[in-house]
Amino acid sequence: MIWLIVVLAVLAVLALTAILLYNRLVRLRNEAETGWANIDVQLKRRADLIPNLVEAVKGYAAHERGVFDEVTRARAAVQRAGTPAAAAAAGGILDAALGRLFAVAEAYPELRASENFSLLQTELSDTEDKIAAARRYYNATVLAFNTQIQTFPSVLVSRPFGFRERELFETAGEAREPVAVGFGRT
Amino acid sequence: MTLQQQIRANRRRSALVVSLFALLVVAVGAAAWYGLGQGIGVFVLAVGIAYGVFALLNARGMVGSLTKARPVTKADDPELYRLVENVAIAAGLPATPSIRLVEDPAPNAFATGLRPQSSFVAVTTGLRELMPPRELEAVIAHEIAHVRNRDTRLMTLAAVLVGVVALISDLAFRAAFFGGGRRSGGPAAIAAVIALVLAPIAAVLLQLALSRRREFLADASAAAILNDPEAMALALRRLELDTREIAYGDR
Repeated sequence: MIWLIVVLAVLAVLALTAILLYNRLVRLRNEAETGWANIDVQLKRRADLIPNLVEAVKGYAAHERGVFDEVTRARAAVQRAGTPAAAAAAGGILDAALGRLFAVAEAYPELRASENFSLLQTELSDTEDKIAAARRYYNATVLAFNTQIQTFPSVLVSRPFGFRERELFETAGEAREPVAVGFGRT
Repeated sequence: MTLQQQIRANRRRSALVVSLFALLVVAVGAAAWYGLGQGIGVFVLAVGIAYGVFALLNARGMVGSLTKARPVTKADDPELYRLVENVAIAAGLPATPSIRLVEDPAPNAFATGLRPQSSFVAVTTGLRELMPPRELEAVIAHEIAHVRNRDTRLMTLAAVLVGVVALISDLAFRAAFFGGGRRSGGPAAIAAVIALVLAPIAAVLLQLALSRRREFLADASAAAILNDPEAMALALRRLELDTREIAYGDR
């Protein structure tokens, strides 16, 4: 009789632990999904800005067809990308294409002086900053989720219930540019 | 300890402190009840609790009007607005807190609000002018970290509870002085008086115990949010060098 009670008590504790671990895994997975949704919002916002930007440059440099096509293709590739890694890779190509678009724009002082163009440029760089911010949050949540999945004892729960590691969202130019360090007042 | 563990430890401490506060309110209520009789005891407790609820519901507005903080829109200061937006995204807040500017030459910032959705972050004009964007971002990240770690909620709660305890014991003393209650004397009445005297002091001490660790945790969180510990260090350094008087406490 006493053995039955002991066995039942142990089973109850094990079941309770498994439930708590499962709930924590679900919470972390939802946080990571929210993190990805935040990135997605900013990627869409950038995708919406790009056609306007291309139109603005076209008005001054209609003959630079190659650059416009390149940007448009890269934009479409980012929109098609299904996974964080694919989105990051396509994003790298888009950044390079946008770089060439701005290089073209450099040659047209009137274009650079136009209010519409400088507004679009500000909006674009703001969106890039927000993508970077959302990426930091997403990567932090993914790191927490993946660690929880892989470590004991939650690995005993995560595998049977099919929790899979999520990809980080890492851009190609991950290395930060050097920053000026100064301790004086600026 | 990792950041997540620190946040959890912080939450446990908060729960402990809030329960101590609750005990304190109950003790003060019991002392008033015992020393002054049921009628006055209930009255004093009811006024205290009503005040507490009112103050909690209006805390955000009260802080806003006390510091004369005026709201900042995106059109007023796009750079500041974008900094706050980006930091809120990086911290994973469900919404961007609103932004206020306080007319004050001393560099300072604070955040308040019971929930992230209804919080605001305020900076003084002095801070806005003193800090380059990178370091301003670090200061804002520190305030956003207070919002995310729910420090703003806890400190609001603590301030309100200190007020409630002080109000209850003050009312109880006035009631006793103006002739209410049973003039029974004896050790129980003395104990009640001692409890009423000590309670407000204990409340303030509890509140002070809460705040210091939270500042360090918020600095660490801010560095993690920005992924730029150096900016945080530079901002702290700049604040240390600045000797102008700080007019408002950091909450």
